[in-house]
Amino acid sequence: MKRVLTLLALGVILVTGIYAANYAFNNIPDAYDGHLDVVALEEDPTNYDVTGADGVADIIIAQNLERTGAENNVAAVVFDFRGFDTLGESFILITSVVGSFVILSKVKNEKKEEDAA
Amino acid sequence: MKFKDGIKEKSIIIKCGADTFLPFSLVFALYVILTAPVGGGFQGGVLGAAAVLLLYLGYGYDVTKKSINPEILRINEACATTIYALLGFAGLIFGANFCRNVFYANGWLTGFVHDGTIGLMDYAVGYNVMTGVGFLLILMLGFLAPVEEAKKAEKKEDEQ
Repeated sequence: MKRVLTLLALGVILVTGIYAANYAFNNIPDAYDGHLDVVALEEDPTNYDVTGADGVADIIIAQNLERTGAENNVAAVVFDFRGFDTLGESFILITSVVGSFVILSKVKNEKKEEDAA
Repeated sequence: MKFKDGIKEKSIIIKCGADTFLPFSLVFALYVILTAPVGGGFQGGVLGAAAVLLLYLGYGYDVTKKSINPEILRINEACATTIYALLGFAGLIFGANFCRNVFYANGWLTGFVHDGTIGLMDYAVGYNVMTGVGFLLILMLGFLAPVEEAKKAEKKEDEQ
């Protein structure tokens, strides 16, 4: 049963991976604003026009105020564009606190029992 | 300063160093957290949690546990995570997506937090990290404490 489930999960991962690779090969992804040509940049980086900031950096620098209303770009990235990431960080912290609390308190109790015995 | 029996007296140099640097480190941590729009929540929180280590170096585990209650820290950490999530939902409630910055130019709260809710979120992250890392440090130092007590007992037995 375990082996069947493992093979099933691996098969699902393989199929979705093949689909994603095919999709990425056929539809070359553009940047968010459509200015950045990834293929041209990779083939000839020296001739590529880099006078303006491209992609996400362009969005953040040029449109930060009207999009988020924040004065500071770094704060806008950390808490607005990537707010979920920061939420995950705090969840990591609370998970580590609870996990070490459980494990270490168990070790302490075992030591006390040994001392008593 | 009086100490009860069983609490080891540390060297006076370490004690004086801890006494001198603890308030400065706490003030610096609060300064880093409160310059919120630059995004110093995590770093300031870790700086504030280092005060636990200073206390431990100066006075040992028992005094640390007496002066900072780990249970209160644990509860506060959960509160801080909840506050962050609620501030994220504020963007959802007031007509945008999750974690969107709101209240920045509406006239409400603008004198207090001129960067909108992301400044408050930064405070929440600083609160979260300060309490969480402080609790972790106290827990791990408490794991070290029985070993020290056992060593002390061995030394006493050897002397006798």
